[in-house]
Amino acid sequence: MVMFLMILCMSLFGLALTALAFGAATGTLRQDDEIRLDEVVDERLAAVPERFFVRDDAPRPTVAMPKVPLEVLLTQIDRHVRLEQAAAESFINFPSRESLHGRTLSPLAH
Amino acid sequence: MPTIDQDLFRGLGEDDAARILGLGRPIRLAAGQELFALGADAGDVYLVERGHLALTLPMHVGGRDQDILVEERKAGQIVGWSGLIAPHRFTLKATAQIETDVRALPRAALLAYFEQHPAAGYTVMRNLASAVGQRLQVFQAMWLREMQRVVELRAS
Repeated sequence: MVMFLMILCMSLFGLALTALAFGAATGTLRQDDEIRLDEVVDERLAAVPERFFVRDDAPRPTVAMPKVPLEVLLTQIDRHVRLEQAAAESFINFPSRESLHGRTLSPLAH
Repeated sequence: MPTIDQDLFRGLGEDDAARILGLGRPIRLAAGQELFALGADAGDVYLVERGHLALTLPMHVGGRDQDILVEERKAGQIVGWSGLIAPHRFTLKATAQIETDVRALPRAALLAYFEQHPAAGYTVMRNLASAVGQRLQVFQAMWLREMQRVVELRAS
């Protein structure tokens, strides 16, 4: 019995010493580590875009526009101007709402 | 040989028309040759006697500036009325589409003649106002048609 009590006391004493030593060691470490961790996290955060999972570039149209050769586009513009001018002159000769907003065959007007 | 069958001379007596034409100097343009540039000082008014002129404005197309046709002028029509209207700067570029003859009428000589012959000056200025008004009305209508399309696009 005495021996049991002695072993128990020594175990409790040892446990208390271990707890004290652990507490002292982890207490100082925790403060240092927290500062270093904050610094590391700040640096990493600064390097990462704010919206990590969101594309920062402007959204592109989902429908791809057909690539028109420059010469074709210039011809279309030329034709558009002529048709629009003709429509405008028609309106001046016979002013009405219909003649002002009448449709033309220009592909640029649709 | 210049005739009085010109926009600018409508309603003018033959004597006055001949004297005014005599104030000018003939210019022959090769196809593609520029008569005046956008923004250049406008000291002359031009009468197209033969050929075709393209009046253009620059537009950014395909990554570069392109001359876009705005109006065409043919024989009998006036070009470059900025020569008579302040601030006397051309607001378009004029280029010959084919070999073209024009008569350049200097502003100073025209205004001096109009001071001496007010009736002729009045007639010419009325014709000029008609040409300016015509362009204004055409472009006003074109602008409104374009605005209508923009509104329809936004609404769709």
